[in-house]
Amino acid sequence: MATEPRAGGLTARLTLRLAWRNLRRNRRRTWITATTVALAVMLLQLEVSTIIGIERQSMDNLISYQTGHAKVFAAGYFPERDELPLDRTVTDAANLVRRLEAIPGVSAAAPRIVFAAQLSDGRDQVPCTGIGIDLEGGETDVFRLPRAVTAGTFLTSGEPGLLVGSGLAELFGVRPGSWLTVVAKTRPGAYEALELPVVGLVGTGNPDIDRSTFFVPLATASRMLAMNGGATEIAVRFGPAAGETATLARIRSTLAAERGLEVLGWRDLERDYLAMATAERISNGIFLGIFVVLAVVGVANTVMLAVFERTREIGMLMALGLRGAGVRRIFVAEGAVLGFLGAAIGTALAVGLMIPYSAYGLNLTALYGEIDLGYPVKDRLYGAIDGTALGVVWLLTVVLSAFASFYPAMRASRQRPAEALRHV
Amino acid sequence: MVAAALLTDVRKTYRTDHLEVAAVRGISLEIEPAAFLSIAGPSGSGKTTLLNLLGALDTPTSGTIAVGDRTTAGLTARELADFRNAHLGFVFQTFNLIPVLTARENVELPLQLRGVADRAERRSRVEAILRDVGLAEMMDRRPNEMSGGQQQRVAIARALVKGPTLVLADEPTANLDTATAHEIMDLMREMNARAGTTFVFSTHDPLVMDHATRVVRLRDGLVESDERREPDRGH
Repeated sequence: MATEPRAGGLTARLTLRLAWRNLRRNRRRTWITATTVALAVMLLQLEVSTIIGIERQSMDNLISYQTGHAKVFAAGYFPERDELPLDRTVTDAANLVRRLEAIPGVSAAAPRIVFAAQLSDGRDQVPCTGIGIDLEGGETDVFRLPRAVTAGTFLTSGEPGLLVGSGLAELFGVRPGSWLTVVAKTRPGAYEALELPVVGLVGTGNPDIDRSTFFVPLATASRMLAMNGGATEIAVRFGPAAGETATLARIRSTLAAERGLEVLGWRDLERDYLAMATAERISNGIFLGIFVVLAVVGVANTVMLAVFERTREIGMLMALGLRGAGVRRIFVAEGAVLGFLGAAIGTALAVGLMIPYSAYGLNLTALYGEIDLGYPVKDRLYGAIDGTALGVVWLLTVVLSAFASFYPAMRASRQRPAEALRHV
Repeated sequence: MVAAALLTDVRKTYRTDHLEVAAVRGISLEIEPAAFLSIAGPSGSGKTTLLNLLGALDTPTSGTIAVGDRTTAGLTARELADFRNAHLGFVFQTFNLIPVLTARENVELPLQLRGVADRAERRSRVEAILRDVGLAEMMDRRPNEMSGGQQQRVAIARALVKGPTLVLADEPTANLDTATAHEIMDLMREMNARAGTTFVFSTHDPLVMDHATRVVRLRDGLVESDERREPDRGH
């Protein structure tokens, strides 16, 4: 900040000192305006905290239940993924898992067989996605599926069984102990049916999983679909301290020589979700920006009153040689300081509420029952305390307050000194 | 010798939609350096308008005004602000100090506007002038902690601190009791004598007028009389 005086203007320090002291001239008005700004900023900070919390939970959910940090596919599989093809598979999956787990930054890898299936209870038949998971390997190190079991138990190695998405189970009206039939087209092209007991239900909060997915042991899927040790994908989890980009690059470099494989990070896998989240963030940002603009209208009003009340003072300052720009700066600074003060109080209040919000969350199910937020978020919503977001909202409020003060400041600076001095 | 101020056939007409008021109707006046000049006249005679024109706070409808060797003709609003800052000091009837600043800070303001970057220099000039006007003990008081006379002393210090060519005072004693008014006039006269700064002040108070070395009387926007005299200091 420039503090050197210059002809025709005041130093930044003196301008700010004047702004602060002038705001204290009419304390009641200043506090009323600051309180209005503070309330708007508090709500805005809580809203931003919620949005960031939802995004973080969603990303965590996707990584924990659906994508891992990265996946290795057979070349050509990913563009066809919606068809769930079984003819583009990663062969010798066990060997590949070992190689992947040896790469620095990789904490676990697990093969999966994802296949199209019909699930039937004898009356109804529902198309859904079956996933064979490796219960002896790193499945539970890569994904957090056991945590999502809402009824019954997780699958047990060597025991055939079904883990059914909670929404799907509700559709069929099944519970652990019920039996369902899986019908799927095998890799060679024949249809195979297998009757399995439901051992447990999973509720992940991710509608893709909960409403249309079931899990079976990898060995069961492999046998049923005649996969011969192949997998449709190898999911990979990175260590907590591993850099995402660097680890992904190391995996790609390790597998570079193998033309038949393709490595995609979770951001590539969930490009559609991330694009949707970005669009949501922009639309929320615009909405919330309007919210702050409305709040700083009060700042503009306060500065306008100050300009009116201090017209003679403005004339005197002009008589002393203060240029129009200097007059503008005085009032813009007042608006900015007022915004800063309001934003500081609002942010402090918001942080006070965010601490329990981020620690204990908000029980969505208790408040609203089963609702679909459009995000893969389950049961509880946790706010996020994000220093950058707090700072950005604070700064945005200061900038908008300064901006809102610009019009009254402009009016102040355009007065003729003689007329301003005559003002009663 | 260059005149402290020179007005040549200066006219000022205020126009509204339906009305045209000629406040100053052709005044020519040469103000010599170190003058202590009173502009007198009844209300509506054009005193304040003339001071505003002389102080570059307003622009004449026609005619030219020069302060020192600089004319104000054709200057932009920004240049006029710089001009006022460089050449003029003002003392107002209602003191017009900034209430949130101390006496010291109020007096320092013109120096900051002038671009005097050295804080120590500003400080020493401010303290010297405040001592000169008899406020050595009140430098850190705010205006609301001072009497009217003390506030006007601060205003005089603020007008003088940058060493202007001309100090303009619009009815500087109108809000003061008689004794304080005399004190203020004596102080202005003392500053005028000590530094040779030219003072032009407006008044309709005969007692105040008595301090002047020259009295220019206005009536209906014209100079009615221009009288040079020995000031009466024997009040």
